[in-house]
Amino acid sequence: MSSIDIVGPQLAVLLAAGVVLLIDALLPQQRRLLPFVALVGLAGSAFWSLSWAGRADWHPDAFGGTLSLDQYALFFYFLFAGITATVVLASVDWVNREGRGQGEYYALVLTTCAGLMFLSAARDLITIFLALELSSIPQYILAGWGKDQKSSEAGLKYLLLGAIASALLLYGMALLYGVTGSTLLDDIAQTIQTDGESYRSVLILAMVLMIAGFGFKMSVVPFQMWVPDVYQGAPTPVAAFLSVGSKAAGFAVITRIFFIALPATFLSDDWAMIFAVIAAASMTIGNVAAIVQTDIKRMLGYSSIAQAGTFLIGLAAISVHGDEFTLGASGVLLYTAAYAFTNLGAFVAVIAISQKIGSDQIKDYAGMWKRSPFLTVALAFCLVSLTGIPPTAGFWAKLYIFNAGLRADLAWLVIVGVLNSVLSAYYYLAVVRQMFLGDAEDGMTIRTTPSIGMALGAATLGVLVFGIVPMPLISAAESAVEIFAR
Amino acid sequence: MPFLAETAAGIPDISEQVLWAILCAPLIAWAIIVAGGRKYPTIAGYLAIGGVGAACLLSYITLFNVMDADGGIVKYTHEWFAAGPLVVDLGVRVDGLTAVMLVVVTSVSLLVQLYSTGYMDGDHGEGRYFAHMCLFTFSMLGLVLADNLFQIFVFWELVGLCSYLLIGFWFHKPSAAAAAKKAFIVTRIGDLGLLAALLLIFRETGQFDVGVIQEWAKNPATDGTLVTLFALGLFAGAAGKSAQFPLHVWLPDAMEGPTPVSALIHAATMVAAGVYLVARFFPVFEASPDARDVVAWIGATTALLAATIAMVQTDFKRVMAYSTISQLGYMMMALGSLGYVAAIFHLFTHAFFKASLFLGSGSVNHSTNTFDMRKMGGLKPHMPITYWTFMIASLSLAGIFPLAGFWSKDEILLDAWRNDTGLWAVGVAVAFMTAFYMFRAIFLTFHGEYKGGEPVDHHDEDSHFHGDPAHPHESPWVMTLPLIVLSVPAIMAGWFAYDHMFANFINHALPELPHHEGSSFEIGIAVSSTIVALAGIGAAYAIYMKRWVTSESIRETFAPLAIIFENKYYLDKLYEDVLVTRVFHRGWNRLLEANDRYVVDGIANGSARIARQASLRFRTLQTGQIQSYGLGIAAGVVVIVLAVYSANPL
Repeated sequence: MSSIDIVGPQLAVLLAAGVVLLIDALLPQQRRLLPFVALVGLAGSAFWSLSWAGRADWHPDAFGGTLSLDQYALFFYFLFAGITATVVLASVDWVNREGRGQGEYYALVLTTCAGLMFLSAARDLITIFLALELSSIPQYILAGWGKDQKSSEAGLKYLLLGAIASALLLYGMALLYGVTGSTLLDDIAQTIQTDGESYRSVLILAMVLMIAGFGFKMSVVPFQMWVPDVYQGAPTPVAAFLSVGSKAAGFAVITRIFFIALPATFLSDDWAMIFAVIAAASMTIGNVAAIVQTDIKRMLGYSSIAQAGTFLIGLAAISVHGDEFTLGASGVLLYTAAYAFTNLGAFVAVIAISQKIGSDQIKDYAGMWKRSPFLTVALAFCLVSLTGIPPTAGFWAKLYIFNAGLRADLAWLVIVGVLNSVLSAYYYLAVVRQMFLGDAEDGMTIRTTPSIGMALGAATLGVLVFGIVPMPLISAAESAVEIFAR
Repeated sequence: MPFLAETAAGIPDISEQVLWAILCAPLIAWAIIVAGGRKYPTIAGYLAIGGVGAACLLSYITLFNVMDADGGIVKYTHEWFAAGPLVVDLGVRVDGLTAVMLVVVTSVSLLVQLYSTGYMDGDHGEGRYFAHMCLFTFSMLGLVLADNLFQIFVFWELVGLCSYLLIGFWFHKPSAAAAAKKAFIVTRIGDLGLLAALLLIFRETGQFDVGVIQEWAKNPATDGTLVTLFALGLFAGAAGKSAQFPLHVWLPDAMEGPTPVSALIHAATMVAAGVYLVARFFPVFEASPDARDVVAWIGATTALLAATIAMVQTDFKRVMAYSTISQLGYMMMALGSLGYVAAIFHLFTHAFFKASLFLGSGSVNHSTNTFDMRKMGGLKPHMPITYWTFMIASLSLAGIFPLAGFWSKDEILLDAWRNDTGLWAVGVAVAFMTAFYMFRAIFLTFHGEYKGGEPVDHHDEDSHFHGDPAHPHESPWVMTLPLIVLSVPAIMAGWFAYDHMFANFINHALPELPHHEGSSFEIGIAVSSTIVALAGIGAAYAIYMKRWVTSESIRETFAPLAIIFENKYYLDKLYEDVLVTRVFHRGWNRLLEANDRYVVDGIANGSARIARQASLRFRTLQTGQIQSYGLGIAAGVVVIVLAVYSANPL
């Protein structure tokens, strides 16, 4: 099996990006095929991943150990293919209306996806950095894709702050390389295990710098300040992509780095505590700020900060019980997947509604139940899942990650998490109440286009199905983190 | 005579598929109605009847199988969720207690669905109505079939949601919307206790299984304080759902929902879920005398409080609502007095006669367009079936020999007598009041002169009233048939007390048979309660039928009491005006304001500026915001590094 076969899923996506550009340039009258081509590419990628899922001959060290095809990577390949497909479907109406640069838009979305996939498979610092840039640069462009100044401002802000974050990350990686003399995560782990303790002060600095770099992607406090501005300014489908795709990739890679390269106890005690404090701060600050928002996109922005805090409980939960070492990590994966379905569903519903009513104000969602029962029920269901109420995927994910926290003796953090869930119910359910019980000023019904309907249906179905039958997803997440077992 | 049969229970021969089918039949009906049936109300009605009917049939099969096994236990469990040591099961458990509940829930539900096809005919939301009713039946069945506390909690909340949806069914009516909200919030307060109990039990045993929890409570090594705390947490949830003092205020308002909903949910089944919960975990209460005292006295207080209020109500349906609260208090009093059998037996008989009473009140409303008893009177010749079935159910509720209510009420009073004569005295007082207010209602409604009902408001688009209130008439057969059918158990359900049939059947649901023994019938208790009930009927006859004493003069004599009763002990006022408006709303507003001013503006400094004009924005972009965000990132790094270094010196 050649190394090329291992990057098949990425190649399928990149190929689709190329085809999209060619069609856009050579057959401009066939532009309506563009999203279809993108979906075919993503489906091909997923099938390629599927063909690997049943096999035993894993490639833990392709391309000289810089990339690996393991269950961990596969989990994210599927996830990113699904996320990107949903984003493509959710973009169709917006892109058609916008008119210009349709091919470029889809090509950039697909390129981002390939970057995210590389990121989840990378086992080497340089590859990680390259993959991160491959996924980030298209996103900077996409954030500024809208015609209005708000969008341009969002794109510019994201680019400049993203550059700062990349610089910090690179600095941290350089320090890590300086201490260990290797960029491969496994080699780094070995060096640190044998004689890393004397370099602890440098390693801590490196760790914090990397946390800052990825913290920007994950949008956790104190690296979150760009989030509300960019979410509000960027085109809504792009905001959805940012809130789910790049956040998931951030968690994917930081989990891999810290669990593979830095699990030594003289470091993990420190980073677990850093993550715990950041988690508590993110949840609290995100929720408190979300409560007063009147714009639903800003509200979702702050809520995504709070949600990221909940993810981090999993990273903080390095369990003291040896056999449950990976419970927190599988919790992160589970939460990533559940959050991806849920937040995408919420964003897609917002896209559909704001396209028709031309407003993102929560008060304009009043009486939405009478205008579009489908959108209302789907959005309400996703918000319920974000709150963590059964029977939704969000509920099990939260339960899982809280349980991991308890097993790692982080009861205080879990209590903060539970209190924050209660707090978040206030603003999530306020939207639900507004939609069901408020009075609509405009009784016009809202019709859903097929692409939006498919995207929303798929996302909410995922939330519901995993809300009722959670075990398959949990097993997938647990077998994915087996690579960390010690 | 021994209290219990000596034979050990067997394992009922029921396949797992049957149990899941019971649960899923109403769910499937719900799904079909939601998917497409809402626009065809007639079909939706048939679907609901079909779904619930199937569940009902299978429930009876289950009942007979469990009877063959003398009330033994069968359970099927699957792993639903597992995270390391945390395992949540999804399972069904059937024993005598479950079988009784299954039969009660599905029988009453089936009759109510049938009745609803008449009562709700022509309502705009008829399809939605049947969908909600199916979802409710599903949730309630899930609650009683659950084999672990976690699953109980999930369905418990689902039941609460259905109740909310159905109370607020006519959501365009402000009173209905407010009542729905009130019910939801008040019961949530109790649910916090249930949630706390759930967390406590998981911390202690790591499991949620009913059997494990029962064993945990009985184990002498278990800390008694924890058992009491757990029991009180369960009871808090039960008190919310079963409308026990001081959380009873939501149930009278819940009468804003359609009357069949009141019959099914707020009289026969859901409100009994609290009693069921306490009974399900009865060994926990057995192990904690303190918790038991709380349950008994809260129950007695509720019974008395609600009965006194019921005596002065002018709204027909609210009399019934307070009567329900009072009877639920009776059941709780029994449970607190170790009367597991008496409580469930009363739950069983009460479900039938109270459902019959509610459906009867709906039938009256169908004819007169009102629930105000001052606008009724003399309906007996116009509505003979409604009258006689109502009479049977009332006699049963009043506890007149040999109707169903007599037997179950008698067992409760006997258990109360054994536990504490004070409880018994309250019980007897309540028995008098119960007979009094029921017959007051009958005399005001069915006897004397007809006062014309409520004229139909033809401008009200949502009104679906077809008849003419000036000429009352009997309801259609779909409505009277359930009344007649319900009269049968209202008369005979009590006869299962014969030879301890009922007791033997449900006792095997407990890990160890109840330790208090003795005869379940004592002639002194029976005679005294019957005399008291007859006295209550006589008093009502004297005041409202013969008018030997006018109600006005009595009201004047007992003016202070009457005012307190009429104002419902000022509890609603206390909650709404003082707690909600003054304390909660103002406090919350202040908190939000402070949050706005100090926290949000402080953290997201500049984030509000995005809304400013474009010229300003570009300047901000160049001179402030980006730098400050970048600075925030850098500062974050510095702070974290310093914190780690200082917390964990090198």
